[in-house]
Amino acid sequence: MSGLGGTYQRLFGEERDALVLGVLRVSIGALLFLNGMRLVLEFMHSGYFGDYFHMPLIPEPWLPGPTGYALLLGLQAIAALCAFVGIWPREGLLTASSLGLYFLLCDRLQYHNNRYALLLLAFLLAFTPCDRSLLLVRGRQHTLPREQRIAPTFARRLFQIQVSLIYLGSTGGKLLDADWRSGQVLFMRYARAAEQFTNQGHQLPAWVLAIFTSVLFASIAAKAAICSELFIALGIWVPRVRRLALWLGVVFHISIELTANVELFSWVMLAAYFAFVVPEVRERRFEFARGNARAERLARFVALLDWCARFERHPQSSTDAAAFYVTNREGRRASGALGMAQLAEAIPLLFPLWLPLALYAKLTSKRVLTASSA
Amino acid sequence: MPRSLLNLSPRLRPVFFCAYLATQCVLLFRAQKSPDLVFGFQMFNATSDFKISLFRKVKHRGRARIVPVQDGAWETNDPSGTRHTYRWQDRVHYTRLATLNRFGHAAYGLDAQLFRLQAALDDFVRHLAGDEETLALIAEVDTLKNGREAGHVRLQADRP
Repeated sequence: MSGLGGTYQRLFGEERDALVLGVLRVSIGALLFLNGMRLVLEFMHSGYFGDYFHMPLIPEPWLPGPTGYALLLGLQAIAALCAFVGIWPREGLLTASSLGLYFLLCDRLQYHNNRYALLLLAFLLAFTPCDRSLLLVRGRQHTLPREQRIAPTFARRLFQIQVSLIYLGSTGGKLLDADWRSGQVLFMRYARAAEQFTNQGHQLPAWVLAIFTSVLFASIAAKAAICSELFIALGIWVPRVRRLALWLGVVFHISIELTANVELFSWVMLAAYFAFVVPEVRERRFEFARGNARAERLARFVALLDWCARFERHPQSSTDAAAFYVTNREGRRASGALGMAQLAEAIPLLFPLWLPLALYAKLTSKRVLTASSA
Repeated sequence: MPRSLLNLSPRLRPVFFCAYLATQCVLLFRAQKSPDLVFGFQMFNATSDFKISLFRKVKHRGRARIVPVQDGAWETNDPSGTRHTYRWQDRVHYTRLATLNRFGHAAYGLDAQLFRLQAALDDFVRHLAGDEETLALIAEVDTLKNGREAGHVRLQADRP
């Protein structure tokens, strides 16, 4: 098959395990529901948006009346809930996202990039086979057997492209803005944050203040932010650096969530990263010493947080040297700090710790090697 | 195996793929020309600020005069002598534009907020039933772009 034919087949004919898409659906469904409930609360608090100043992107007659809007809001919330619990989940995603996009067209004052990103991602997710796992409404039988989970996943590629486009759009905007490029925007933001902090009665050390109100620091931070976003946008397509790009993305979004008010943006993008998880499951191995209380606790922890079913868990006789061993996809078996790093790279909640743990493991193994050679 | 209408046939997949991507690219490029960058994924705000002061152009003894709008509200009598109160914040709920005479953050940049302010003025003057006095609504806007003075802008909406 020619290279082009192979790419075409891989893009449109690919059939992979859809288990992780269920995790993605539950995450996006929950965010979609929260977004819908925000609109419901706004409606209850401020009334119908059409009764005061609004800016429709579609002709005014296409807007719903107050009763119609209330009904559509209810429908959107129910559809998002269905997507979350797994009752007609794909139809639920499509309905909730389409209604959300329609509401954005009804009033551009409601437009926020994070809301738009969430709705687009939910829309695309509806075209993936995300209805084969984590159907919460089915209780313990929430996931179909493996052979029924294998399905065409071409829309997952589109979802991934959409994630890249979000970062590229954001980077492009910053690159086109001279004040962003030069660091002036961040300089003002840091200066204001420092001022606000001082106004609240907190005392910042002089050297911290000097750094945060320095033009040079803001300039470097601006370039770093632009490069980070560009690296995330492109790096997620390169298998060798994908994990690093995702890790950088996680750290980037955690820092944004802690320092800026961006509604659901950080959560949307963090959830979207599930689309980049290798679809195949149980390709890694976690062995733990039977009878060792700490190892058994770790095994329970892994069972609880291994949402993407990365690990095959095996108890082993406690005569083995280490309390646990982790074997990664490449077949590397490790314990200790490296083992923890290999665990962290596959467990979503531990993923922010992956790079520090991996670096620590590398550093300590070098020390051991140096000591033994000496 | 779950069946769904959303399982696109192999023939439809490339069509859907290309149509979606083409739409996204068009929206992304168009967004760069739109004052409020709508659909453009411009995630992070600049640090610009603006201050709106409202004025009315009114008929007074046959001549046009500019009078300030105190706290965003004014009162007039309609031809039948009934007193009406008009309040900017009753019609404009959008917080960035509802705040008057005080510097506030220009979310999505100054161009976005000035574009929205002009639309708000146009909308407001269309809803002045009973006010025979007001000829136009004027917004004097002081702007600070990323900490630097960016000048003064005057926006006006005439009664239709």
